[in-house]
Amino acid sequence: MSLSFTLNGQPCATQAPDHWTVLDLLRDGLGLMGTKYGCGEGVCGTCTVLADGQPIRACLVLAAHVRGRVLVTVEGLERDGRLDPIQTAFAERGAAQCGYCTPGMMLAAKAFLLENPSPSEHEVREALSGNLCRCTGYTKIVEAVLAVAGSK
Amino acid sequence: MRLHPFRLLEPESLPEAIETLGRLDGESRLVAGGTALVAMIRLGLVKPDRLVALHRVPGLNRIRVDGGSLELGAMATHADIERSRTVRDGWPLLAEAVHRVATPAIRTSGTIGGNLAYAEAASDPAPALLCLNAEARVLGPGGERAVPLARFFRGFYEAALEPGEIVTAVRVPPPPAGARGGYVKFTSRSAEDKPLVGVAALVVLDGAGRCVEARIGLGGSAPTPVRADRAERALRGEALTDAAARAAAEAAAGEADPLSDLMGSADYRREMIRVWARRLLIALRDGTALRDGTR
Repeated sequence: MSLSFTLNGQPCATQAPDHWTVLDLLRDGLGLMGTKYGCGEGVCGTCTVLADGQPIRACLVLAAHVRGRVLVTVEGLERDGRLDPIQTAFAERGAAQCGYCTPGMMLAAKAFLLENPSPSEHEVREALSGNLCRCTGYTKIVEAVLAVAGSK
Repeated sequence: MRLHPFRLLEPESLPEAIETLGRLDGESRLVAGGTALVAMIRLGLVKPDRLVALHRVPGLNRIRVDGGSLELGAMATHADIERSRTVRDGWPLLAEAVHRVATPAIRTSGTIGGNLAYAEAASDPAPALLCLNAEARVLGPGGERAVPLARFFRGFYEAALEPGEIVTAVRVPPPPAGARGGYVKFTSRSAEDKPLVGVAALVVLDGAGRCVEARIGLGGSAPTPVRADRAERALRGEALTDAAARAAAEAAAGEADPLSDLMGSADYRREMIRVWARRLLIALRDGTALRDGTR
């Protein structure tokens, strides 16, 4: 099937087999390896990307569902060589250990902060409840998100 | 890891969707948000060779009030519903329950129609919708019909849908005047899990604190979401004292028919219904907040 949508600020027209998910499309169709495959069942959150500003599970959403939508992956967080504030905060706070959860974690946090720019720690934890860090480095991740919120 | 291959059909109207479903042979499945079905395909639990997707049918995600009742299009996502001002103001119990479904990135895809048609016993919205006397609007080759939710769940992961039928909307009458409603979920593994047990309740108290109306919906407590009829009867006309709340919770636990699985045993589920139904009823009476529980 043919698909056209906006990907990281650029128009994208491509083809994909019917049974591909958004994750298959990004990694195998378009070569964007920043979005990770974790559990494949929507539980771990590492494949989180944004569709129309909202977080989705790329492993569960069929590629056909992105037609006409605006997609942002971790590759699209940086703008003109400048890191997004959430990336800077993660780097400065050391909010990554092995790094596998980091793209999904940052995109989930980004979507959440757009909706709730000054959250409590509890709200941050709830918003990130669907993103697992198997290194269990949650403390610095939550600190990084709160730092972005506090700096605004 | 790829999904087992299937052909995707994307009808652009409901009549076309019904016609498409009607002419398919082999194993075909309807897909709404995909949060349940795609995971099932991934796990090899189902291997459909065709999927019929509803995402291109216009207007199927609409949320509106019609004749005083809330009408949720089947493709309205949990996120659409929890954010809707109309739902939050007029049907706060429903807004509260859909907010508890899984995690934010699931709620943006998972739909209310898909949730009900999946007939998961541990659905978060279902107990609330049962308390609100909601009905499913079902369209099929023979026309449209309304199915009260109390008769919609036929068995374990089985909805009262005939082959070729589609849930198009969920209709929710306005709650009774003065209703207080709440939903609480208890999870045994992690906070974002489906509930081990979920309890929804709606009560109307008169000036003397007596229950003029009492409705209790249970999730994870039987092969399907259910109303706790005996518990409701125990409450109606009674003052909502601590003892009455305890007796109603006891009745709910007694009439529950839970399963044992990896999340918890039937006995443990019954015990948690007893605990959380009592706490919820008391919180509704006192107007206090009740946080979800995790073991």
